[in-house]
Amino acid sequence: MSSARTSTNQGESGVAISVEGVTKTFDGGMVKALDNLSLAIDAGEYVSVTGPSGCGKSTLMHLLAGLDRADSGRLEVSGEDLMRMRDPNGFRRNRVGLVFQMHNLLPHLDAKSNVMVPMLGTQRSRRERSARADELLEQVGLAEFAHRRPPQMSGGERQRVAIARALANDPAVLFADEPTGSLDSRSVERVLELIEELRKQRPVTIVMVTHDKAVANTADRIIYMVDGRVVDQPVGL
Amino acid sequence: MSFGWLIWHNVWSKKVRSALTATAVAIGVMTVVVLGVVTDSLRTTAAGVLRVGAADFTVSQKGVNDILESALTEPLLDKVSHVEGVKSAIGVLLDTEKLDDAHPLVVEVGIKPEHLKPFGVQIADGRAFGATAENEVMVGIHLAQDLGLRAGDTVNVTGRKMTVVGVFNTGNTFGDSTIMFPLAPFQAYERQPGGLSLFFVKIDPGAKVAKVKTAVEDSSPLLVAISSLMEFGRADRSYQLITAADHAATVVAIAVGAIFVMNAMVLSLVERYREFGILRAIGWSRRRLIALVFGEAMIIAFVGAALGVGLGFVAIEVLQELPSLKGILKPTLESWVFGRALLTAVLVTALGALYPALRAAQLSPQEAMRRE
Ligand SMILES: Nc1ncnc2c1ncn2[C@@H]1O[C@H](COP(=O)(O)OP(=O)(O)OP(=O)(O)O)[C@@H](O)[C@H]1O
Ligand SMILES: [Mg+2]
Repeated sequence: MSSARTSTNQGESGVAISVEGVTKTFDGGMVKALDNLSLAIDAGEYVSVTGPSGCGKSTLMHLLAGLDRADSGRLEVSGEDLMRMRDPNGFRRNRVGLVFQMHNLLPHLDAKSNVMVPMLGTQRSRRERSARADELLEQVGLAEFAHRRPPQMSGGERQRVAIARALANDPAVLFADEPTGSLDSRSVERVLELIEELRKQRPVTIVMVTHDKAVANTADRIIYMVDGRVVDQPVGL
Repeated sequence: MSFGWLIWHNVWSKKVRSALTATAVAIGVMTVVVLGVVTDSLRTTAAGVLRVGAADFTVSQKGVNDILESALTEPLLDKVSHVEGVKSAIGVLLDTEKLDDAHPLVVEVGIKPEHLKPFGVQIADGRAFGATAENEVMVGIHLAQDLGLRAGDTVNVTGRKMTVVGVFNTGNTFGDSTIMFPLAPFQAYERQPGGLSLFFVKIDPGAKVAKVKTAVEDSSPLLVAISSLMEFGRADRSYQLITAADHAATVVAIAVGAIFVMNAMVLSLVERYREFGILRAIGWSRRRLIALVFGEAMIIAFVGAALGVGLGFVAIEVLQELPSLKGILKPTLESWVFGRALLTAVLVTALGALYPALRAAQLSPQEAMRRE
């Protein structure tokens, strides 16, 4: 897996994500999770974010995905100013896709239904939703798992379903917070292959948080974080 | 998959949770159904007589505790007959008697034979009694079937052996469970010569019920005119008390049911934090999440309503066997029972689901994802 790679999406240009001087504190200012953080990610770029535990990676993801609001600073994701966003639900539903480390899926729904859930609030008809879910499961190589529920799948399979769901509404950016964190090496490899496949098929920007150096190295670029800031050098790695 | 399917699936895939919640709803519904049937039985026992006479309204003595205690007279009847707008007024004398353990409260009606037809009585078997026949009675078809009586049989009432000369039909369960006597001998037996209980008034075509009622009430301070069961309370204080007790107990039953439902839903909320967090994280709005929780609650409400009605009727069957209630409860499957059950279930569930739904909507998605 090469680490030296430039954007594969030449047609897609410009900045997908721009963060300037963002600060986020918790517990009434006692915990500074992000400290005047700035970064920029190009459209179509595949970036990994890494750093020691507690440095603010997940917090950054949550802000970028519109799950939470920053205290101050500027955040823009695919043209949307997150500090004065009108419809955060619509943003999460249509503009970004989210994959977490675990507990991604609704355990009582089968794989196909899980993929369809984000499409419920959209214009798509029932038939279209079903067709789209089939297509996505096919893409992640789990067509025959459509009617399995998460407890009947391996961790890796679950993450692939989660990726399919994240892509359901064709988001511009895919955020993944340690998607391979709880997988064995074989499953990690399959997820990474899948990401590579996806990038060939669509101009999606990917931001992936990971602890794993090998996983981080599959990205076009690695962003290192320490104590809520972006640093140039890997620290403690 | 659709939103409706998801609601249904959530209820179905958590069978135990759903069943527990539905049981809480059912207990509330059962309580309200039983209360309703009991109070309705008591009410019909007292007020059913009003439904029998095919009349525009009924006249009773003002301020009695029980409509059966209303005491009027033939001169008053004469007076009412001459009020403007009154076409005809039939006077009947009422009493109750215990026939046997299964029939502890049989209503007896003294009425002139020529008034039977205008009163809405149809002879199903045999003939009408004679105006002065001391030993002749007619038995309502419902009671007759219950007692196995036919025209020509004898029956022990008012302390004597009486001949059942006819079996009649009024088209009303209450009326069909009464015994009718010729008025004059019945008045003599009751030691109330010239005494009557109620007048059943028909008005002239074109006259207004409200207007004629007022005119009748104005004709004597002793009288009150009642044109519906609702108005019965004006004449009957025990009816008012029964109704008040029913309302109070219903409110309590709904509140208790709602607390049970809320309890069950709040408990399930804790295990569903992650589920709701995921849904919010992938772009579901608060409103959609509330709709999901309420949708699930409503399915449970319908199941609970059905279960509650079933339990209610079992409970009534059991209650009926209690000696003190024997023969008084009439577990009729009337449509209002179902309406009331459904209303109760929806109220109980909606009240119980309100807080959990709002809590679910308040949940911040990243908070939910953080929980282990
Ligand atoms: N909701 C919260 N309330 C209080 N403190 C929080 C909250 N979320 C995050 N923090 C704190 O903010 C800091 C950054 O947390 P964050 O989860 O972003 O770290 P991370 O880099 O993702 O760590 P890890 O690699 O362990 O997942 C930590 O000190 C954490 O305790
Ligand atoms: Mg984290």
